[in-house]
Amino acid sequence: MKGRGDGAPAEISRKTAAAQGRAEGLNVGWTVFSYLLSGMAAYGAIGWLIGRAVHVPLLLPVGMLLGLGISIGFIIYRYGVQAAGAQPKTSAKAQRR
Amino acid sequence: MTGDVNALASGGCHIFSGCGFPAPGLQDFEWKPFFTIGSFGFTKPMLLAILAALVVIVFFWVAFRSPKLVPRGVQNIGEVALLGVRDQILRPSLGRRGDSYLPFLVSLFFFIYIMNVMELIPIFQFPVTSRIGFVWPMVFIVYFLYLFLGVKNQGAWGYLKNMIPPGVPAPIYVILVPVELLRFFIFQPFTLGVRLFGNMFAGHLLLTIFTIATWYLLSLSVGLIYAAGSFALAIFVFLLETLVTLLQAFIFTTLTATYIASSLEASH
Repeated sequence: MKGRGDGAPAEISRKTAAAQGRAEGLNVGWTVFSYLLSGMAAYGAIGWLIGRAVHVPLLLPVGMLLGLGISIGFIIYRYGVQAAGAQPKTSAKAQRR
Repeated sequence: MTGDVNALASGGCHIFSGCGFPAPGLQDFEWKPFFTIGSFGFTKPMLLAILAALVVIVFFWVAFRSPKLVPRGVQNIGEVALLGVRDQILRPSLGRRGDSYLPFLVSLFFFIYIMNVMELIPIFQFPVTSRIGFVWPMVFIVYFLYLFLGVKNQGAWGYLKNMIPPGVPAPIYVILVPVELLRFFIFQPFTLGVRLFGNMFAGHLLLTIFTIATWYLLSLSVGLIYAAGSFALAIFVFLLETLVTLLQAFIFTTLTATYIASSLEASH
């Protein structure tokens, strides 16, 4: 990215930044929702299949709960831990600008 | 439309007249065909969808058929519409490199918006997107573009690999694969479509309930007070729906823009 010295229009207007935040927020919100559903569905289905094979119907809810746990863990990792790790980099970049 | 509602509209069905409340329901989303060709019936939502497409096509054609450097008349409105989508939807997600997708996003946004806003226009009074069959084709178009651009820009293997963000430990990859595959191919398009459909469906149902209730409760009795309350709520829902129709078109198009952006380069 070009710096201020290059004379490029590097300044992002407040409005554009707000719109960027809105778009990102929307995307993250619905991705998180999709993760929760897909975690439950994927491991619920695996649990159901195994449960059918070994005649333990309880494995369906167990699988769903496990999937929900995996989804929540991954959401925390992706949007919490990873995002927090990326935060200082962004601010340092912004400060350099 | 339901026979109960028709009976209500024709007059006599009011509270204390021995007539039960003709509660709206799924039947209010079913339409008798205007005409049939074999087993195919041409219904009101189909007509409204064609009208919405025509409105978008004709409006932008009139606005930009001979564009002037200093815009006048319809071109002014067209430019405001175009710049609104560009600055509020396209640029925040795609930046300047995404300007080539502007015609697609503008068409999508206004097509959805006009279909939604049909709910609030007298005579039409029905949001086309409250019939899910009109939403899925748009979701398929968006998803086809999303997949096509992803495979084109990142390669098939790279695209699949990039679904899981970098830095995830290898054993976790195995656990996440079924979750990611389901999310990407099933639940993400599902939520994209169902959100638009659900909001418009619920909004239309609410509006119908309060409008019918106002008419039903209207009588020279205590019902008059309830009718006034119901009327106030119908106005409130109407105003709310003016916002929801715009918001749902905005959300659908914004998410489409973010999907295109993630297809053009790997997720961070």
